[in-house]
Amino acid sequence: MPQNEHIELHRKRHGYRLDHHEKKRKKESREAHDRSHKARKMIGLKAKLYHKQRHAEKIQMKKTIKMHEQRKTKQKNDEKTPQGAVPAYLLDREGQSRAKVLSNMIKQKRKEKAGKWEVPLPKVRAQGETEVFKVIRTGKRQKKAWKRMVTKVCFVGDGFTRKPPKYERFIRPMGLRFKKAHVTHPELKATFCLPILGVKKNPSSPLYTSLGVITKGTVLEVNVSELGLVTQGGKVIWGKYAQVTNNPENDGCINAVLLV
Amino acid sequence: MALYNFKKIMVVPTAKDFIDLTLSKTQRKTPTVVHKHYQIHRIRHFYMRKVKFTQQNYHDRLSQILTDFPKLDDVHPFYADLMNVLYDKDHYKLALGQINIAKNLIDNVAKDYVRLMKYGDSLYRCKQLKRAALGRMCTIMKRQKQSLEYLEQVRQHLSRLPTIDPNTRTLLLCGYPNVGKSSFINKVTRADVEVQPYAFTTKSLFVGHMDYKYLRWQVVDTPGILDHPLEERNTIEMQAITALAHLRSAVLYVMDVSEQCGHNLEQQLKLFENIRPLFANKPLTIVANKCDVKKITELSEENQKIFSDLVADGIPVIETSTLTEEGVMQVKTEACDRLLAHRVDTKMKGKKVHDVLNRLHLAMPAKRDEKDRPPFIPEGALTRRKAMEVDAPKRKLERDLEVELGDDYVLDLQKYWDLMNKDEKSDKIPEVWEGHNIADYIDPEIMKHLVELEKEEELKVQAGEYDSDEESEDDEMKEIRQLAKQIKEKKKLKFMQSIEKDVHGPRMPRTAKKSHYVAQARRSRSTTRKRKREPSAPPLSRTRSQSASRPPRDASGVRDAKMLKKVKMMMKNSQKDMNRMGKKGEADRHVFDLKPKHLLAGKRKSGSTDRR
Repeated sequence: MPQNEHIELHRKRHGYRLDHHEKKRKKESREAHDRSHKARKMIGLKAKLYHKQRHAEKIQMKKTIKMHEQRKTKQKNDEKTPQGAVPAYLLDREGQSRAKVLSNMIKQKRKEKAGKWEVPLPKVRAQGETEVFKVIRTGKRQKKAWKRMVTKVCFVGDGFTRKPPKYERFIRPMGLRFKKAHVTHPELKATFCLPILGVKKNPSSPLYTSLGVITKGTVLEVNVSELGLVTQGGKVIWGKYAQVTNNPENDGCINAVLLV
Repeated sequence: MALYNFKKIMVVPTAKDFIDLTLSKTQRKTPTVVHKHYQIHRIRHFYMRKVKFTQQNYHDRLSQILTDFPKLDDVHPFYADLMNVLYDKDHYKLALGQINIAKNLIDNVAKDYVRLMKYGDSLYRCKQLKRAALGRMCTIMKRQKQSLEYLEQVRQHLSRLPTIDPNTRTLLLCGYPNVGKSSFINKVTRADVEVQPYAFTTKSLFVGHMDYKYLRWQVVDTPGILDHPLEERNTIEMQAITALAHLRSAVLYVMDVSEQCGHNLEQQLKLFENIRPLFANKPLTIVANKCDVKKITELSEENQKIFSDLVADGIPVIETSTLTEEGVMQVKTEACDRLLAHRVDTKMKGKKVHDVLNRLHLAMPAKRDEKDRPPFIPEGALTRRKAMEVDAPKRKLERDLEVELGDDYVLDLQKYWDLMNKDEKSDKIPEVWEGHNIADYIDPEIMKHLVELEKEEELKVQAGEYDSDEESEDDEMKEIRQLAKQIKEKKKLKFMQSIEKDVHGPRMPRTAKKSHYVAQARRSRSTTRKRKREPSAPPLSRTRSQSASRPPRDASGVRDAKMLKKVKMMMKNSQKDMNRMGKKGEADRHVFDLKPKHLLAGKRKSGSTDRR
């Protein structure tokens, strides 16, 4: 029976087929033609994917070709002036720069007074009630329409118990309750899956904040004990704010950016 | 894993191929069209189906990989150890574990997203959820790239391993590199192992099969082992050690007497002592190879003492030369016999033997008188047996002659003929001589012999030898014969009866004139027509085949022209429906397929979407 490296052994003993090298050479030279034929005749989704991949390959090829060519040719050097030199009309401009700094500081102070924090997403589209709630009809003849079901992702705390079903106005379905969020640290560029402590503010409406509805732009409080942050006094930081950056009901997960 | 066939493992695709395959399968095998205005449950179902389909495909393929690859705990310890040596048990288990984890993760992802999709209230939301779900599953697969590559390599190597049955009769060859183990296996079996002058030509286990005493034996060739402790051994040597440790076989320790392998006899002896613990419970034979270069008797005193010590220990030492083939058969028979005896011993000591032994009983015929009745062996068989034992030179075979003469060889069977005159052996025999056919006269007393033969035959017939053996037949056969006879008689009677039956009734003789009315009807029909037209063809013309006395079929039994017309009308009426439907006849019930599926169903793919 053929054992271990029987193919190599056969080649060693009997050599290659008489036309082996010819065939190989011809096949390799035909490759370009086959590839172009395939690229021309392919249709549909496969073609789109193939063309995209091929385009990326070609870009790489062009880059390497250009790199090789650069060594051969000489190029105009654009850096005529050395680094430190400054033209005459820019000398003695320090006074102005200081002024700019001052006005920035004034702006910041004004913002703080107004209570506006700096968040990654300052403006978010407001979600209307029809978007966030779905009307649930109840009653013997399905006429009463005072119940609402939340259609967005929400957070309920640990000790949450529903009100008696007859009296609860806002239904938060279990399938849409999330406990964890994928939080990115903007400086470390690392993402962690951290448990949510609570919803701090939903920009659309305070009703949503109290219900715990999480939409894009909501500020959450997350448990960052995993990160091991410590204050200057030596205390361990275990809660921080983070702002949601995606639409959780469309993606099935909550992505947030930590507010440092 | 009864047959240890690792060739049936399916190909493990690379991560990129796997993803492409599954996604394109999802796109082809699930419905592709959905609109915003469909009912929400239909939209949800559409997208949930895609998510579930993708999950199912991944799950199936990964499960297949997991079941195909052998579990190291389930296979024979020999294979488990061999795979550990070759592929590193930890890495192997880790790779399979990762695949298992990936499978579970994919299942969980699909479950979560299907649950979320139940709350999807618009097409956009369901679509985004499906996109997220498929994307997540594919990311999980992308992370398995390394495991899949490793498993594909393992599969390729595993499928090329030789199939060694660990339980059957095996001879294991071991020793230093370059002592002649591969040459030995090439001589004894049909395995074509590479033999080269450099060390470690054989880099893995090879197996060959041979026959002895009507049984199949495995011969396993191992890579050479060098003399260093177990921890320092490399992969190639470890394979040999694994085979030694796990296969219950007869061990042939091959030594190079001429020291051409590069190691002297003391080193070889030292290696032997080192691996001796592995030879426990295995019948051991020492093969002193390359004795055509140097015999044991030509060695120095100490070296000869080595061999005599071994013999004194009870280990047979046999001189061989794989080049001249002396002693090879002896080694084979010796090792096989010892292994058989060992196996029988082990079986006898075991528990299962008694079940069999209790049922065995050797019956000897009881002596009825003092006459001695030994077994009868014909003379020729006895002489041949003696010749075999002595290994005497056989008579020259035709094959040897053919090999000698090469191209000039011609098969000449006439030289074996037994003639009175030896010179006439090569004469051509004529076929005809003096007008007589030689074949008739080959026996000069042929007529006499013929007469004698006929007399004998007569005697035999008289004695009743050719009568059918009726007494030896049992009742069943007799009944059957009787039944057959009855059936035959009945059949004959029926045949006679059917011949006598008068089916057609009284008939007019062929030469009698035709019926008056039929002829008239035919004549009248043709003559009425004839009045209107020119006489083009003779009215009562008939073809050669038609006879005058018989009326044509469509006019037989018809009284007059009016009846004939009515008959024709009825015939045509009954055929109208059939003709309209294009039927072949009354019994044609074929239903035509007016809307064939292959033309009217399916997606509008390339080639058919340029018109609406």
